[in-house]
Amino acid sequence: MTVPNHKAALAEVLAAQFGRRDLLKSAAAGLGLMAASAVGMSPAHAQAAKKGGSLTLAWVEAIDTLDPHMTSSAGSIKVINNVFNGLLKVAYDGKKVSFAPDLAEKWDMVDEKTHVFKLRAGVKFHNDDPCDAEAVKWSLERVKSPALKSPHAWKLEQLDGIDIVDPLTVRLRFKKPFAFLPVALTGSTGRAGTIVSKRAVEAAGAGFGRAPVGTGPFKLVSWKENDSIELVRNPAYFEPGLPHLDRVLIRLIREPSAAVAAMMSGQVDGLSVCPFQFIPQLRKNPNIQVFGQVEGNYAFLGMNNKRAPFDDPALRQAVSFAIDRQVIVQQSYFGEAIPAYTCISPPMSDFYDPNIAKSGRGQFFDLAKAKALRAKSKYQGEVNPVYIVTEGFTGSGGLGTRNAQLIAPMLAQIGVKPKIELVDRAIWLQRRNAGDFDLYDEAWVADLDPDETITPEWSTGRPWNYVGYSNPAFDKAVAAASETTNVATRRKLYIEAEDTLMADAPLAVLAHMKVFKILSKKVKGFEYVPADLLNLHTVSLV
Amino acid sequence: MAFTSQRLGAASWWRSLGALAQTALVLLVVSGVSFLFLKLSPGDPVAIMLGSDFSRDSYDQLYRQLGLDQPWIQQYAHWLWRFVQGDWGMSYVSKQDIFEQAVLEALPVTLTLAALSLLVALVVGIPLGVVAAVKRNSWADLLASAVAIGGNAFPSFYLGVVLIWLFSVALGWFPSMGYVSPWDEPLTGLWHLALPALTLGAWYVGLIATVTRSSLLEVLEQPYMAAARARGEPGWRVIWVHGMRNVLMPLVTVIGLQLGGMLRGAVMTEVVFTLPGLGMMITSAVQTREYLVVQAGIMITALLFIAVNLIVDRTYALLDPRLRQR
Repeated sequence: MTVPNHKAALAEVLAAQFGRRDLLKSAAAGLGLMAASAVGMSPAHAQAAKKGGSLTLAWVEAIDTLDPHMTSSAGSIKVINNVFNGLLKVAYDGKKVSFAPDLAEKWDMVDEKTHVFKLRAGVKFHNDDPCDAEAVKWSLERVKSPALKSPHAWKLEQLDGIDIVDPLTVRLRFKKPFAFLPVALTGSTGRAGTIVSKRAVEAAGAGFGRAPVGTGPFKLVSWKENDSIELVRNPAYFEPGLPHLDRVLIRLIREPSAAVAAMMSGQVDGLSVCPFQFIPQLRKNPNIQVFGQVEGNYAFLGMNNKRAPFDDPALRQAVSFAIDRQVIVQQSYFGEAIPAYTCISPPMSDFYDPNIAKSGRGQFFDLAKAKALRAKSKYQGEVNPVYIVTEGFTGSGGLGTRNAQLIAPMLAQIGVKPKIELVDRAIWLQRRNAGDFDLYDEAWVADLDPDETITPEWSTGRPWNYVGYSNPAFDKAVAAASETTNVATRRKLYIEAEDTLMADAPLAVLAHMKVFKILSKKVKGFEYVPADLLNLHTVSLV
Repeated sequence: MAFTSQRLGAASWWRSLGALAQTALVLLVVSGVSFLFLKLSPGDPVAIMLGSDFSRDSYDQLYRQLGLDQPWIQQYAHWLWRFVQGDWGMSYVSKQDIFEQAVLEALPVTLTLAALSLLVALVVGIPLGVVAAVKRNSWADLLASAVAIGGNAFPSFYLGVVLIWLFSVALGWFPSMGYVSPWDEPLTGLWHLALPALTLGAWYVGLIATVTRSSLLEVLEQPYMAAARARGEPGWRVIWVHGMRNVLMPLVTVIGLQLGGMLRGAVMTEVVFTLPGLGMMITSAVQTREYLVVQAGIMITALLFIAVNLIVDRTYALLDPRLRQR
């Protein structure tokens, strides 16, 4: 891609992201991005908030480790985001997701491949070590280091070098222009940009995930196996006046109905997430607030392209038009989702088309079309694909077998009668990773940019592409889109990529789901971000 | 205990030694079989540890690091050698010493829960069984049978949820989660364990009441009961002293035999009430395929089984003087 004026192009994308039009002018002149609004973002809460108090929350998801560079688990990331900071953070104004400086105070772009971050002065880790340019460099290099085997290393693959300009300034040099950078450098969904304490990592070794040391509003006191995690206020936190709470006790309740019971009886003040089936009941409770919007995710039915019968595109296409998404939304998600036409979800507001239902693009329910496509398949007569399903609470909201039970009869109408195999989660993972299935359903969640929502999932040979999909046209479009920061160009490329993907139908896309946070009415100041986060720094008790 | 008295001769010593050897043999077999089964069970711990996105290279590295590339018999020998020395390994999820995690942290929770549940079951089950036997075929007998069968029929995961909704959500009397050790804080601890103990105990109530009833019915027909009555002893004394003494034997046997059911119920109860005991430990470890932790859980369970059986054996001698001579 050729972008004639790097700075103007970046100014455009950043202005779009920050939602501040006047940035365009100042940026065109010198491109200085101030983060004035990032400090103490919530004056409304800051003034009236009561100081102190202890909050008890139930965590339903598993927490594997609190080392931000080593986890992909949503349960862990929600805790991590209260203990660590990233160079950038995810902000939300109620309509639009954006990326605001966090540990960085100023973010300049020298050209499309060179980013300079000016850090906040005086920020300290929980162990009193300074969080300076040295720490940032070390942390980013840790993510990249092959020895660590971080699942987030790919996000910094294009990072060529890190220079320490002065003790509070780092320069990141990339091999190519990198559109995904804002997401990659957040401390939450990106994880790669989370800054960890070098001394603590070196002291704890592999045990760092149990003894995390960051710069965040809370520090870890204890982690009792299968019982609880205790956090206390970091008095040296850099955002003035925050956090309000003295203590947060996280109860590890793995059984969702037990967690909901604890919530209803007031034994806990909140839930980290909540399965769909409990939402109607919780909404009716006058003492409970339910937060939840459609987030950056999509649930889908994956079809194994590498073996019969779904090596046949016509059969895959038939499946993609045979599924009634409205029924799935109502019965599987209890109405707390919207039908998906493509993979790109509403929070990716630069790329999502709110009128997609009328555009004729993407996949949707059309039984006549499905039957016509089915007639063209090279596999005539009844086929019996193996559909692997697992119980258990995952990012897709504790669906269990609901999707499979709804989809199977829908497919039967076009002569596809799946054999549902219900297996333990560990086995399911193993079979999915090995491609030992014909059909499987899951969801990719907590994504904020198309580059993380379709590129690693469906590009040829990438590790999450379990169905073995491959189309050079798709690969080319997403690769080009990740190498430009021009929003209009990217949008065009993603439409192209998605149309290819939906037409090839390695997946039948199902729904974009709401993701819930449940809090008691006595909890104030929670700032909801549609990225499956539960940030507690602005939270206080009545 | 009887076997420590002077009456123990060389023969008894041999018998104790034999019991010890038997115990060791049982443990060895259990450890070997369970190790093999864990290895045979599908599911890959390395894939779970690494998450979604990993390279072949990092997979192989971790695989070797965990020693999974060696033949299972070698892995087993390695594990056994270290296990008997008290080195149970390190959990790769919690990065904690497994002995510490299993024996010092999880085991006391499960033992406390089991003990309290047994207490609940005895306190409710025995009187229920006695009433049912004494007032045979009356409405009290019917009620006792209904309670007994009901307690037995409700699986603990279901009864637990029902009790939570009733006593915790609707009435707000008891907490539904969290463990506070009653040895440290007796009142808070017992308050937290009330619902779990009731849940797990309910299953035992039925068993104990049924055995008490049927054994007591048999005992009531014995001539020594008639003799006691003829001596003019009060009715309660006839039942509770002469009668119950003879009911205890079958009762102790059944309790010992059903320890497996108790431990199985404890797994469910711990998950429902979020108690960090052995059941919870084993459940999470199975999900993440942490072989060493599961193995430790199995070994402790096996040891508990053997210990309870030995205790039951010794209790016979205490309960029935005739057995002491043999």
